[in-house]
Amino acid sequence: MSVQGFKSVFMVASVAGAALGCYLVSLNVASERAKLEQVESKIVLAQRDIRVLQTEIGTRGRLAQLERWNVSFIRLSAPSADQFLEGGFQLATMIKPDVKPVIDAPVVLASAPVEQNVAQRPDTSDGDEAKPVGIVRTPAPSASDMMRVASYARPTTATKTAPVTTAKPNASATKAPVAKLPVAKLQLAKPVSAKGIKVASADALAPLPAARTTAKASATDGASATATASRKTRESGSQR
Amino acid sequence: MNVQSPALVARPERLRLVGQRRQILAVMHQRLMFGMLVYVGVVGLIAARILYLAAFGDHAGRKLGVTTLIPERGDIVDRDGHALARTIDAWTIALHPKKLIGNKLELARTLARLMPERDEATYYAMMKSDRPFFYLRRRAAPDVVQAVNGLGEPGLAIDREPDRLYPQTTLAAHVLGYTDVDGRGTAGIERAFEAQLSNPATRGQAITLSISSRVQQALEHELLDAMKEFSAIGAAGVIMDIHTGEVIAMTSLPQLNPNSAGAGSMEARFNRATSGVYELGSTFKPFTVAMAMDSGVVKSMGQMYNCPGELHVAGRTINDTHPFNRACSVAEIMMESSNIGTAQIAQQLGATRQKQFLKQMGFLDKVEVELRERARALNPGKNWNLVETMTVGYGHGIAVTPLHLASGYATLFNGGIYRPATLLKVDATHKVAAGHRVFTEDTSYKMRSLLRLVVTKGTGKKADAPGYRVGGKTGTAEKYHNRSLKVTSFAGIFPMEEPRYVIIAMLDEPKATAETYGFSTAGWNIAPLISRTVSRIAPMLGVRPDKKRDANMAEVLPYIHEKK
Repeated sequence: MSVQGFKSVFMVASVAGAALGCYLVSLNVASERAKLEQVESKIVLAQRDIRVLQTEIGTRGRLAQLERWNVSFIRLSAPSADQFLEGGFQLATMIKPDVKPVIDAPVVLASAPVEQNVAQRPDTSDGDEAKPVGIVRTPAPSASDMMRVASYARPTTATKTAPVTTAKPNASATKAPVAKLPVAKLQLAKPVSAKGIKVASADALAPLPAARTTAKASATDGASATATASRKTRESGSQR
Repeated sequence: MNVQSPALVARPERLRLVGQRRQILAVMHQRLMFGMLVYVGVVGLIAARILYLAAFGDHAGRKLGVTTLIPERGDIVDRDGHALARTIDAWTIALHPKKLIGNKLELARTLARLMPERDEATYYAMMKSDRPFFYLRRRAAPDVVQAVNGLGEPGLAIDREPDRLYPQTTLAAHVLGYTDVDGRGTAGIERAFEAQLSNPATRGQAITLSISSRVQQALEHELLDAMKEFSAIGAAGVIMDIHTGEVIAMTSLPQLNPNSAGAGSMEARFNRATSGVYELGSTFKPFTVAMAMDSGVVKSMGQMYNCPGELHVAGRTINDTHPFNRACSVAEIMMESSNIGTAQIAQQLGATRQKQFLKQMGFLDKVEVELRERARALNPGKNWNLVETMTVGYGHGIAVTPLHLASGYATLFNGGIYRPATLLKVDATHKVAAGHRVFTEDTSYKMRSLLRLVVTKGTGKKADAPGYRVGGKTGTAEKYHNRSLKVTSFAGIFPMEEPRYVIIAMLDEPKATAETYGFSTAGWNIAPLISRTVSRIAPMLGVRPDKKRDANMAEVLPYIHEKK
């Protein structure tokens, strides 16, 4: 009964509540929108700042200014046609092996006795072509007999050997290991005779004296050592 | 209730009175009701308005107009998107003499120290004057603004105003143009696209030009160097994509800084590339040969003409700088730039066909481009007789703008189709213009080797940029009023075996130097510039240098009489 009496009051209250709720939702939405707009306007302000800074940087680093710096200090010029490459292969062709001049290798060993077993091992002195180089190892007694200590080799040999060793690896591979061990002790057991590349024709490229060419050629063949080779051994036998 | 007397029977006069009172009461009630209704109405109106605002209105903190970044005037950018013109907020310093409160003399002294463009007396006179407002400085630097602000004088107003800025200063100044003090475009693109740049609906979108700033800078720099070296009074240059008609670079010297265009001279504001008309001389010869080939007059590069030392026509004498004194082939005529040979080709071609071709290439009209600063070409007009036909054949007696020439060369080498030049980047929104055919594709093809020959063996040897297959034609014309003054030009095409770009350079009144052995012809001053510029810009434009490629020289080499 009392509920019936309050019916109208409840109605008013609920309508008022609903209206208030709607208003609160709208208020909430409005405040969220305001926040969003604030963020948007911040973004725009930041964009404007970016624009101003970009303009300033662009003005300070304008092309005319860069050109002026280039003319007075940097002095870069346009690349010529030859500076453009076709690709990786063309770039690779431009790479040359490092030139390592070995100046402290005055001693050249060359000993090639007759009938010796030829030890084959790849020469590591030249990196790019791994040709097996025949190294003739003379048996101990015969070599030691022939060995003479030559503390100071002919300078001509030394100077010739050094650049050739490095610049033309295939041609002078024979000398390379020897040259790299200038202070090696006299090894009577395994004195190194002339070592050579198996391909004799390679020697023709090297500007070496005919005598040495002969020595190498003979060593490569594994045939009898020539008199020249023996003489060389005597001259530079002390090393290794 | 209104009965005041207890008498049961009212007197008649009294009854009348009661009736009157009732009437008055009714009126009063009516009035009260009306007043209440008005009151309720007003309250209701206010409530409705409040409700409406609550539901649909803006809230108090809302800022209008900052949600999008629309500049006061549209940007202009180059084809790679680098800004060439922008509107920024600049500081202005103004003076309100009425509002000054401090010591005027002292203030004048301080201002003269801070802004030395006016002296003390002028500042003092301004403060004493009756005018309410003076601009002391527009586009003031921040340090000056800070110093003026530090004075604390209410009569000095510091404000921000939109201001047009050209960040690259002189770069492409004549293409961009400039604005007046109120921000209205008065030249160049600024003027041509004034409506688009200032309309709030469209100014948010930047105008993208076909200009490439790097190429433009290279061209401007090299031209400026040459202009200084040869003490020329002016220079112009155009680089154009021959297939689309896009102008990649266009410059006119002396330089102009559009940031202070008013400070530049008339000479500097003048756009030589589109409004200057020049007799461009021998650069016209390829057109004559192409016209003759198209018309069937010249059937082969080996067609022979008699080339004496001098040619006398109707009282005029035509000379050659490299006289043959023998019969020479078309290839040789072009290689040595023979006026006599070309004049004879033009004579065979005839005035009617010559005019028709020139008309089709746009050489008799204003140059077609978006700019308003365009000049009409000068030509013999009604006196187009035999002699005129012959002189026009080698580029004398007809004056065109460098841009005309660029369009013409583009027509000649893109397969023979004329397209108007454009300064807007060609993309999805801006399509390539339709164009119309002027020369046959065959003629266009044959011209390649002919112009390559000029550079490999002829007058333009110094224009060769190794690996870039430059072809082209030199041109040296004498000025009409003084025969010793020259206009030298070069029209180049690269790469010649598949033409893509045309480069036109022109020097106005170059002088001979010791390095050129006293010569002031195009082969000596413009050609080296072309070589330097091409080797600089070609990699940027995507042209690979290749020394093993070249145009098909077998077309022309058999017809060259090699000197023993």
